[in-house]
Amino acid sequence: MLVPAAAVSAGGCAWDGPMSTLIARSDVARDVLDLYALITWASIVIAVVVFGVLGYALLRFRDRPGAPLPPQTQGHPWLEIAWTIGPALILLLIAVPTVQVVFRTQIQAKPPDALEVVVRGHQWWWEFSYPGLDVVTANEFVVPAGRPVYFALEGPDVLHSFWVPKFGGKRDVVPGRRNAITVVPDTPGEYWGQCAEFCGASHANMGFRVVVATPADFDRWLAAQRAPAVDAGAAVAAGKALFAGSACVGCHTVRGVSTGVLGPDLTHFGSRRTLGAGLFPNALEPLAEWVRDAPRLKPGVKMPAFAYTDEQARALAAYLLSLE
Amino acid sequence: MTDPDRGPADGGHADLRTYLVVAGILTVVTALEFAVLYIRALTPIVVPLLLVMSAGKFALVVLFFMHLRYDTRALWWIFGGALVVATGLVVALTTLSGDFLVYRR
Amino acid sequence: MSATRVDALPHAPAHAVGGVRGWLTTVDHKRIGILYGVSSFAFLLIGGLEALIIRAQLAQPNLGLVSAEFYNALFTMHGTTMVFLAIMPLNAAFFNYMVPLMIGARDVAFPRLNALSFWVFLAGGLFLNASFLFRTPPDVGWFGYANLTLRPFTPSPSVDFWNISLQLLGLSSIIAGVNFIATILNMRAPGMTLMRMPLFVWMTLIVQFLVVFAFPPITVGLIFLAFDRFFGTHFYNVAAGGDLHLWQHLFWIFGHPEVYILILPAFGIVSEVIPTFARKPLFGAPVMIYSGILIAFYGFGVWGHHMFAAGMGPVADAAFAIATMLIAIPTGVKIFNWLATLWGGTIRITTAFRFAAGLIGLFTIGGLSGIMHSSPPVDLQQHDTYFVVAHMHYVLIGGSLFGIFAGLHYWWPKMTGRLLDERLGRLYFWVMFVGFNVTFFPQHFLGALGMPRRIYTYSAETGWALWSLVSTIGAFILGVGVALFAVNALRSFRHGTLAPADPWDGRTLEWRTSSPPPPHDFDEIPPVYSRDTFWREKYGDRHGTKPVPRPPQPEAHGIHMPDPSVWPIVAAAGMLAAAFGALLQVALLVAGVAVTVVALFAFALEHHRNPAHADQVGELGVDHRKLAMWVFLGSECFFFGTLIATYLAYKGRSVVGPTPEEILNIPLTTLSTFDLLMSSLLMVLALAAAQRGDRRQTRLWLGGTIVFGVIFLGFQAYEFIEFAHEGLGLRTNLFGSTFFVLTGFHGAHVAVGVTWLATLLVLDLRGKLDVADAPKIEIAGLYWHFVDVVWIAIFTLVYLVP
Repeated sequence: MLVPAAAVSAGGCAWDGPMSTLIARSDVARDVLDLYALITWASIVIAVVVFGVLGYALLRFRDRPGAPLPPQTQGHPWLEIAWTIGPALILLLIAVPTVQVVFRTQIQAKPPDALEVVVRGHQWWWEFSYPGLDVVTANEFVVPAGRPVYFALEGPDVLHSFWVPKFGGKRDVVPGRRNAITVVPDTPGEYWGQCAEFCGASHANMGFRVVVATPADFDRWLAAQRAPAVDAGAAVAAGKALFAGSACVGCHTVRGVSTGVLGPDLTHFGSRRTLGAGLFPNALEPLAEWVRDAPRLKPGVKMPAFAYTDEQARALAAYLLSLE
Repeated sequence: MTDPDRGPADGGHADLRTYLVVAGILTVVTALEFAVLYIRALTPIVVPLLLVMSAGKFALVVLFFMHLRYDTRALWWIFGGALVVATGLVVALTTLSGDFLVYRR
Repeated sequence: MSATRVDALPHAPAHAVGGVRGWLTTVDHKRIGILYGVSSFAFLLIGGLEALIIRAQLAQPNLGLVSAEFYNALFTMHGTTMVFLAIMPLNAAFFNYMVPLMIGARDVAFPRLNALSFWVFLAGGLFLNASFLFRTPPDVGWFGYANLTLRPFTPSPSVDFWNISLQLLGLSSIIAGVNFIATILNMRAPGMTLMRMPLFVWMTLIVQFLVVFAFPPITVGLIFLAFDRFFGTHFYNVAAGGDLHLWQHLFWIFGHPEVYILILPAFGIVSEVIPTFARKPLFGAPVMIYSGILIAFYGFGVWGHHMFAAGMGPVADAAFAIATMLIAIPTGVKIFNWLATLWGGTIRITTAFRFAAGLIGLFTIGGLSGIMHSSPPVDLQQHDTYFVVAHMHYVLIGGSLFGIFAGLHYWWPKMTGRLLDERLGRLYFWVMFVGFNVTFFPQHFLGALGMPRRIYTYSAETGWALWSLVSTIGAFILGVGVALFAVNALRSFRHGTLAPADPWDGRTLEWRTSSPPPPHDFDEIPPVYSRDTFWREKYGDRHGTKPVPRPPQPEAHGIHMPDPSVWPIVAAAGMLAAAFGALLQVALLVAGVAVTVVALFAFALEHHRNPAHADQVGELGVDHRKLAMWVFLGSECFFFGTLIATYLAYKGRSVVGPTPEEILNIPLTTLSTFDLLMSSLLMVLALAAAQRGDRRQTRLWLGGTIVFGVIFLGFQAYEFIEFAHEGLGLRTNLFGSTFFVLTGFHGAHVAVGVTWLATLLVLDLRGKLDVADAPKIEIAGLYWHFVDVVWIAIFTLVYLVP
């Protein structure tokens, strides 16, 4: 653990970006960082040897005017054996813990006490549902700290890849297959994830957020998510009427108001930090723009542009933001 | 022509009799392969049996009709190497494709 | 082949055809090498421009220099161009120019096929870039993962441009592979045993085997893609039971050997350059040879390390991880051997040497990041991030490109007769070295900070802006370096010092002839005493004893060089027209195919017989054509192996019927199998008759083979029609797709065989074949028997095995 800690502190906050792979916030990530440190040290040793010898040779054995031909050495069996066995031993040192960690972290079966989150990767947004708990949401979800979370990955369209760097490695969403990854997040906080398999025009715009909460906070969140939509009442009545009366209902679900399933579930949209799968902060201005012309903001997005007036767009945005 | 890699039986030749015998064996084995499918007693081992028989036919055609038995060892390496690696890939691909959790929507 | 006599005067021009026409119809390996070199350098610049636009777009967050769609096309084209149109053909330029010289030959085994390889490569490169003109450049990544490449997700012909051009490039490479294997094994000068061959020739030989064995799986994968897109098959259709891992497996079974195809030639160049400028032999040359062979062989077993995130399961992951780590051992040995070569030497620093030494350092860095990737848990944090981009460019630029530049500077005097300016060379070496490291070292940091690949922009909060900007600046510096090289190259033609035959006090045979060599390469085939034979001639062995000079041995019949031919470029033009036709207009497709077929027939019949060259038996004691055919058949093992593996992998996964048990007619197929086996008997009888000179029996048995072949095709046609009536078509289900494609391609092979044999029969009937032509019947026979044994495998695995 020493090396990543040193690296992080040496670079100051520079290494603690939201997508940093050098910050471990789960069991898998810690395993990975330990292995990463081991391999990094081995690499540094090898690099120092190679560059050292190379640099020395280039300086020491230069041609000088009138120099005779050097001895025409063809080889040296013992040396060659030594530098075959040496690297082999170093690799063995890396291989053993590698295989151990692989069998700890690449198992596809669900542990009995795990919380299951079904992750469906769409072009270009994420659907998260909790089977048995009656919760469906999009682009942002919450899990409790200290408990195994079993992510079951599926996809209705193309390949994607589910990746939260601070939880450790990624796993592809492969349509037709059930891939899975289990992690135990250990530290409450907000974490970023992003699609890591090229999936078309807006692959760059397919992020998501995971919030790791205390078990109590998680239960509270679950209860809120299970409830039907609660909005700000009369203040957003105009926006709600717009929503219920327009094409929105064909694609989006707001429990108690609409049942579309082509786009993200918006029942508790207002509780999310971002919109458009991590593209913009979830606030009135960006949301109003989004609602009017999503394709301009997110290339290739399936949501069409709508001919709303400025006022209409803001009303709609206000309604959606009130859906806590 | 000083290459030390030339084969042991280099330049030899099969004669008409050999060809006819090989053709005869090929015919018989093909008929057996067909028959084996219908012999109930052999059902547990039908797959290995068929694989062995067809491998035998394969070898006979390659060694005798394609003359490899009498050719330089270099050709054995080239074709044999290709065959070994290609077969390995077939086995690997079929194995890897069986080992997954398939989710059907 | 018919020939032009050349007087034994050095530098006497042998080309009767001059000017542009001379270049278009050349079959001279040196000219073909230059054609490859110039075209691939142009493509390198195009790929570099694409890279600079990419880097410019990423220099800051949320830049809008290019649209998302165009950005995706840029990285797709950059990758495809650099791999297939720049690095591979730059390597080919050296294979072409140098290998015959280094083995003491006058040309390759099949000079016209060599020209065909080049023109088909050019057609592929032009076709790929034509996609820009049609405003549909491919935008699915250079690796084109299914199912993004299927019609529902990418309806435009962008993917088809990519698919067809890759097939053309693959064809070009495989033809060249067969050619160079035959050349290296069969055309070495007397005394040059395999272990005495220069390392560059060894690496070339190994690379050619990799090419002919690794391309067929991707050929098949691309065929599946084309069939899915054009004919509605289900190879990558999830709803019909297709497995998206299949594409990934097929792509990487090709893709991993491909990276060795890209790097081994550079290793070969370094193994020539370092000893020359250190003035001592390559340390442990036999081990360097064996390690190259091991790397190539094991390279077929590690492809899964590109798929650690795909969910293959822990057993497969661990197996591929260990295999990948094992490969690092022979690779590491090479680095240490090069260092030992330098150690104790007398090093002359030239531009060529700098690039070679640079490779040693930079490839080490690339190799070490590669070792990180070999561990799945660590790799899963690096996969699809800029860490991999850093790794791959360290090995591809720091490795392959630096190796190529070392070769360019080393062999420039030999190829052009001029020396490049060493001072300018020193300047742009450092510009390139610094530019390269400034571009790509920070990308390790970007990867560690979690920046994914293939994203057209990013937000400021990610913290990726600083290193992205640094990387972009480095890219432009690197570009300046490459431009300076181009300046040096162009200036050398007018202002470069004239080069002697042996400017570097070299060790190998290419330095034993003039700079540039005469059209016939050597006035006399040089003597070979040992590895580094030219050095041995100049300086003697360990005890300083020089070999006894050999008395002059002029060629008894004069030097015969092959005539130029127009058919290679015509055939390639036909293929290019057909490629456009496939996407635009059926009439053009038909015309293109017709031109290609006519050109290939004309090619085959062009040099039908020349008494002076009836004997094409080489060092191994085997006729060139027979050797080439066996190599090709090895390649076909992979082609059919992939088709069969797909059939087996997809067995039982069809979502709807009919199933094999319901529909396959085993008794009938047993009969057709018997028919095909008997046709092989008839074929060997035909060959025996031809070798005896018995024309009547040759025609009889050839005719019989053809008849039996046609009967087999009849059986197959009947079967296909029956199946259609019973409700099984190409697109009915997964079984239909795999069955018809597998047996259909086999049937196509039979049809080609029948056509070939019929052509031979017609030639014979017209009195144009005699005993000396028996090898032609022999190789047709080898092809025919192979098609037969493939059927044996298909019959068992598809029809018989339950």
